[in-house]
Amino acid sequence: MGDESVPYLLDQGTTKTYQIPIGHLDYKFIEKCTDVKHLEKILRVLRSGEEGCYPDLTLFCEKRIEHLDPGSRALRKDRPAATASDFTAEEWETINGELMSWVTEMHEDDHKPQVLRTDMLLEGQDNLPPVRCSSSCLPANQNEKLQNKQRSKKNIPRDYSEWDKFDVEKECSKIDEEGEENNSKSRFFNRPSLPLIEKKIDTTGMTKKEKIFIATREKEKGNEAFASGDYVEAVTYYTRSISVLPTAAAYNNKAQAEIKLQDWDSALQDCEKVLDMEPGNVKALMRRATVNNQLKNYETAIEDLNKVLCIEPENAIAKKNLLETEKKLKGLKPVSKTEGKGRRILIEEIEDSESSEERGENAEECGRSSGDKGRRQAAGPAAMGSAQRKAQGAKAEGKERRRDPADPKGTAEEGGQRPEQQGEGEADGYSDGEGARGSPAARQPPGAHGDAATSLPPAAAELKREGNELFKGGQFAEAVLRYSEAIEHVVGLGEQIPDDLSILYSNRAACYLKEGNCSDCIQDCNRALELQAFSLKPLLRRAMAYESMERYRQAYVDYKTVLQIDSSIQAANDSVNRITKTLIDQDGSSWREKLPPIPVVPVAAQLHRWDGGCFTSEVKPSSTTDTNREEQLQMNREKAEEEFKTLKNEGNEFVKNGKYEEAVKKYSECMKLNDKECTIYTNRALCYLKLYKYEEAKQDCDHVLQIEDSNIKAFYRRALAYKGLQNYQASVDDLNKVLLIDPNVLEAKNELEQVTQLLHLGSSTVTGSLQKQRKKIIIQEVTESDEQEERQLATSEDVVTDDDTSKEAVQKSTLLKTSEKLTISEPSNAYDFGQVINVVNANKDKVACADLLTITDPKKLPVLLSNKLEVETFVIFIQSLEHYVLGKDPGLVYQHLFYLSKAERFKVVLGLLSKNEKEQVQQLFDLLAENQNQYSSEDLESLKKVYEL
Amino acid sequence: MAAAAGAGGAGAGADRPQVVSHVQQALSYTLFDCKWVPRSARLLCLGSAARGTGVLQLYELRAGRLALLREIEKAKPIKCGTFGAASLQQRYLATGDFAGSLNVWNLEAPEIPVYSVKGHKEIINSIDGVGGLGIGEGAPEIVTGSRDGTVKVWDPRQKDTPVANMEPVQGESKRDCWTVAFGNAYNQEERVVCAGYDNGDIKLFDLKTMSLRWETNIKNGVCSVEFDRKDVNMNKLVATSLEGKFHVFDMRTQHPTKGFASVSEKAHKSTIWQVRHLPQNRDIFMTSGGAGSLHLWKYEYPAQRSKKDSEGAEMGVAGSVSLLQNVTLSTQPISSLDWSPDKKGLCVCGAFDQTVRVLIVTKLNKV
Repeated sequence: MGDESVPYLLDQGTTKTYQIPIGHLDYKFIEKCTDVKHLEKILRVLRSGEEGCYPDLTLFCEKRIEHLDPGSRALRKDRPAATASDFTAEEWETINGELMSWVTEMHEDDHKPQVLRTDMLLEGQDNLPPVRCSSSCLPANQNEKLQNKQRSKKNIPRDYSEWDKFDVEKECSKIDEEGEENNSKSRFFNRPSLPLIEKKIDTTGMTKKEKIFIATREKEKGNEAFASGDYVEAVTYYTRSISVLPTAAAYNNKAQAEIKLQDWDSALQDCEKVLDMEPGNVKALMRRATVNNQLKNYETAIEDLNKVLCIEPENAIAKKNLLETEKKLKGLKPVSKTEGKGRRILIEEIEDSESSEERGENAEECGRSSGDKGRRQAAGPAAMGSAQRKAQGAKAEGKERRRDPADPKGTAEEGGQRPEQQGEGEADGYSDGEGARGSPAARQPPGAHGDAATSLPPAAAELKREGNELFKGGQFAEAVLRYSEAIEHVVGLGEQIPDDLSILYSNRAACYLKEGNCSDCIQDCNRALELQAFSLKPLLRRAMAYESMERYRQAYVDYKTVLQIDSSIQAANDSVNRITKTLIDQDGSSWREKLPPIPVVPVAAQLHRWDGGCFTSEVKPSSTTDTNREEQLQMNREKAEEEFKTLKNEGNEFVKNGKYEEAVKKYSECMKLNDKECTIYTNRALCYLKLYKYEEAKQDCDHVLQIEDSNIKAFYRRALAYKGLQNYQASVDDLNKVLLIDPNVLEAKNELEQVTQLLHLGSSTVTGSLQKQRKKIIIQEVTESDEQEERQLATSEDVVTDDDTSKEAVQKSTLLKTSEKLTISEPSNAYDFGQVINVVNANKDKVACADLLTITDPKKLPVLLSNKLEVETFVIFIQSLEHYVLGKDPGLVYQHLFYLSKAERFKVVLGLLSKNEKEQVQQLFDLLAENQNQYSSEDLESLKKVYEL
Repeated sequence: MAAAAGAGGAGAGADRPQVVSHVQQALSYTLFDCKWVPRSARLLCLGSAARGTGVLQLYELRAGRLALLREIEKAKPIKCGTFGAASLQQRYLATGDFAGSLNVWNLEAPEIPVYSVKGHKEIINSIDGVGGLGIGEGAPEIVTGSRDGTVKVWDPRQKDTPVANMEPVQGESKRDCWTVAFGNAYNQEERVVCAGYDNGDIKLFDLKTMSLRWETNIKNGVCSVEFDRKDVNMNKLVATSLEGKFHVFDMRTQHPTKGFASVSEKAHKSTIWQVRHLPQNRDIFMTSGGAGSLHLWKYEYPAQRSKKDSEGAEMGVAGSVSLLQNVTLSTQPISSLDWSPDKKGLCVCGAFDQTVRVLIVTKLNKV
């Protein structure tokens, strides 16, 4: 087609091949057209040259298509191979230089190993497995089976005439046979899923070069397995590579894979091996820091990170990790000073409500039982149990936490100089910014943070910033205008910045969604997604818009896609559940069949978003739509609950990461939703403590204690707050309450010691030594006072005994308890009996002695007394029997007297009795003679003789 | 505007791999296959001379040119060759010829084959080896696929008879086997052979259990099949077809009825003659087309590689492929393609325009 014919053709209405109006072959039309298919047709017409040759217009059309659909097949042009002109001079030099050096290297190799080779030949073959048995040829029946299949396959496109010959019975039996075949087959499929791969490679007879070759290959296999997410396989192949030739790279990669598998110990070992080989290996240092971080060896982790920063001062990831670790360390520091044990962490650990409720129950139980003497001992183990449970909970939490940092950043590192690393670094910043603002994405468009890194032209960036401001201020219509201007500006420039353009569209979509302009929102989301497939926010916004428009199927698909990218987005999860219900109502059980296909998200996209995982989970559909108000109300309630949980978890997360300010914000938001939940207050109090805001912390604890008067954590944290406020007396009080509720809280004891010291230190500035002496006196007072009473008083009225819980006091009280207890339970041996007797003697407690004698079998008396009978004991026995037992059971008195006379040392004691004491015995016998019924007077007389009366 | 676009294009190009034609060498015969000699900068060209004999040429890459080291003439045209079953020291070449003979040559003494068997009645279309070169566990074995419809597995230690034979039974019309490939050789026992036929059949034979493990049909003749790696637990299989499509099967998860999940892509406007995976990265592969074009692809895994179907059986999920680069080198089909196992990005291809080209693919590290 010549150029001359062009004017004539222009007169025709449409082009030849595609029936496109000639007018469409125009800059203006192409610029505005958004239909990629149509544009592709135009491009084909232009390229074919059937309507004339317009190189510029063709180029323009290509650009437009690329802009709308970068992956369009129409853009795949036949291209010649690249030549020197496609590269810069340096690049070209490197390409050729590398090849040349490789060629030279290979040539050198060729000339060396001639002699070696022949020796190796035979050796290599020794290790081979035997020749596959020739009888193992595919058996004939197998061939038939194969053949059957071929035949049946060929039967599928039948002629109609063939149907006439169709023998139903034969076919049925064939199906049966096939069924059997299938069964055997499916059995075959159920082979063990884990392939058995040798961990070692036999390297006998290999030259060094070969070993390098094989080790590299195995390492590459490991890398590939790693890239496809199969970390177990990756570790296996790295191990194989190491078995051939240990290299730092293989160890390093293995460590990374083990980090993914959370095999911290192995990872640590491997990192150390790398560092043995290459002490300054940055990747190994980073990984060891990660592992140590997980193992809570924060100091070692910080050391490593500092080393990294010495080598690479610009390493952003190292900086970030360092900050986080330092915060964590700070959170731990006071512990490591006061005590070596990790128990302290437990009380700081932020728990979920369930476990803390459990804890509350236990504490309550303690409180109740402490008033009840009988149950007091039972309460001990209960408290212990709770402590154990708590420890377990903490462990579980620890595990969970370990999971987070196993982020895919490492994937990028693993390749070292891969470009993704940079990309993910940006993504990191992106999500960080988001997290800091801590507001749901739907409420606030992304991008404000991106300004620094953006490649937007300054004018557009300015417009975008303004748009973001307006959006935050709630002026959505104005924001739309700004964003539109920015978009026009960018599109007009024709530059290739799909990422930023995508963000702009996504932001505008957020505005539209806010305005309730769902169709425009969807359109913008589509554009954003065209520019950046599987971008999270546009997908989410589109899903919300679809939902509002009651286009549930599309909404479902979008939410599902979102979940593929980041499964932790609660809002999407909820919405999927909700929509599933709606769709089932609407379409019945086969609702799935009516769904449009759900796109499969490539791993790259998924990983890319993963970094922001915990932050993007904030994304909440706070923009409730106007439709279905009734549903909405119910949903709102659920949503509020969900939101509460999410906020709380986020808060907890922040605390774990040492971001207390953010955590406080989260908790405060939680309180707006639900101010009855004590854990939120105690958690916030913890944050305040960390932030040295003691007054606020105290207030939170007060609040909790108003609701729950025995919340151990609230007491403990208030104690810390008082300590911070230098109100040591109050602090001591609270700590004592903690110990009262659960005497096993080590950190409270330690804290108490510390605070008491502080307390005395403070007052000793006035009266130095006197104070100390007084302290001693206090202790003595306590020990000498009637503990039992005081203790009862203290426990029942929740008044704090000012004891430093001196050991003596405790011992005493236990002694008393045992004596009381022994009056109830029968002493089983001479030692028990002796103990009680000692106490009884010491107190001259005739009542207790009478109780003891009442429950003690008189026959056992000689055994129980053993050779320990003393005058003192004898006298108190007589007195007790006379005053307390005789009135109730004279028979028992007789029995006791009878068996007492059988005891060892009876005669000795009798001889030692004073006259007064003898009279007491005589008196008892007189009384006995008066009420005789279970014994005869003869018996009494003979016993009298034994008593030498 | 055009200038900006040009700059943009160059900018985009800077990140992508580029295919550079390093050396071209015109030949005087029809080239069927070309192969790098492992652990060297030498390559082999196999083909058919005008007078109906087989040609085997050994070239060496030297400063920007190919130097002919040796030319060997054989009685029958040579269709295909492989080093896959040879040890790294020996580097014996196994070839299949038009007469259906499998020969193993010592290139240092190529007069008499070290192993020879008339394995097939007709031309051997395709050959593959495993167990050598440190690639694949277990015994070295060679598989040949022929127009006579059979696929045979040979062990160079056993004379005259194949160790496994997969053929249609008597009376059944035989299909032309166009391509064969080994895979799954991750330990001493496991090994599979995949074969593609002219009617679009793809069959997967399990050599451990001696059974047909899976088969499918992709409608058009299967020109080339290759596992992404021979020596790992079957991961992916690419099959190319006569009408310009290729299919990537995820071979990790086999569903009892649906088999393996796959994704297909139409790329070349003509037959895709060959597919070869980059030896240093299994997720990158090159396809060669009938119109003299080469396409470089990358496979992206899905977020989850397997899922449960409604009955609880595991089924695979296919990922996606993206085009990294495409170039057109010739007007004639590119019939053979081989990546250097030693130098990443170095590649040789032979076309029906009787030219062998050494290509450099740049920036494969950054993909």
